Amino acid sequence: MDFHGIHDRLKAIDAPGLLGVDLPRPPDKETKDPGRAGDSFVLVDPQRMVDFLGLCRDDEALAFEVLADLTATDPAADASELWINVNILSIEHRHRLAIKAMLPKDALSMPSSVPIYRAAQWHERECAEMFGVTFRGHPDPRNILLPDDWVGYPMRKDYEFPKEYHGISCE
Amino acid sequence: MGLLQNQFDENVLTTRVDWLLNWARLSSIWPMTFGLACCAIEMMAVGAAHHDLDRFGAGAFRATPRQADLMIVAGTVNFKMGERVKRLYDQMPSPKYVIAMGACATGGGPYYKYGYTVMKGVDRIIPVDVYIAGCPPRPEALLEGLMKLQEKLRNSSVIRKPARTA
Repeated sequence: MDFHGIHDRLKAIDAPGLLGVDLPRPPDKETKDPGRAGDSFVLVDPQRMVDFLGLCRDDEALAFEVLADLTATDPAADASELWINVNILSIEHRHRLAIKAMLPKDALSMPSSVPIYRAAQWHERECAEMFGVTFRGHPDPRNILLPDDWVGYPMRKDYEFPKEYHGISCE
Repeated sequence: MGLLQNQFDENVLTTRVDWLLNWARLSSIWPMTFGLACCAIEMMAVGAAHHDLDRFGAGAFRATPRQADLMIVAGTVNFKMGERVKRLYDQMPSPKYVIAMGACATGGGPYYKYGYTVMKGVDRIIPVDVYIAGCPPRPEALLEGLMKLQEKLRNSSVIRKPARTA
């Protein structure tokens, strides 16, 4: 199935949390729209992401067995939302789907996807330490890459670099 | 003992203690098995047959810091690893030497500006004897660095206190 086929199937089975699509578009000079390149996304409510993924995995026509990626994007320092980007893959049907969920920066919390995809464990740990997203119900929410006492979320656009760490200058 | 054999009559050997000790030390610098990033690949190439670190007596990579004389910091040192590097260095018996291999270990390298968790040079936590430029350095450069260290050892003395004892 291509993207639109997957989207139609998701609508037909009334997938929980499905909000719409975000398609790439060419630039438009009249409206001064810069356009957008990249993947076609389905937009999903982050609070219902885990139910959505569960359906994507268990529906026979979709059968997304593999969580290929789960990460976040901070579009700009003054943006009010982070994007949670999820890529899932069906080996059986040879199709993949990119999912985007908008998570407001003043409430960075969403349910963990680990009950559906165990592969999400490390992805969510990285996403948590780099962007400050709390994944509720994660079985092991430690830092995965950064030291345990690290301050700040390095992948956020408004991140301020540390001056020193344990007495070692970072200048 | 090829160097000394049949050099003197009647098996009498005369030498300076300094010379003998330095010769023994610089001919058997045992490095620690320890690599952090892509520089370690070059270090492995130096250890393998083509470049053959064993020619300098430095091919016996020890699996424990307690048997090692030399720490080749081959790669990017971040803060999390830096604490482990310091701990390993502290476990090495004196006299001990450090080679900072490549741009990262010398001064942060390509991560200097935006590497929020990369240490800007391993010399911020442990004393470094030889710095090797390159990203990563050619195997020949590491050999050159090792020869520089041997030169340093050759000129050291057990009688006069060295400038810095680790």
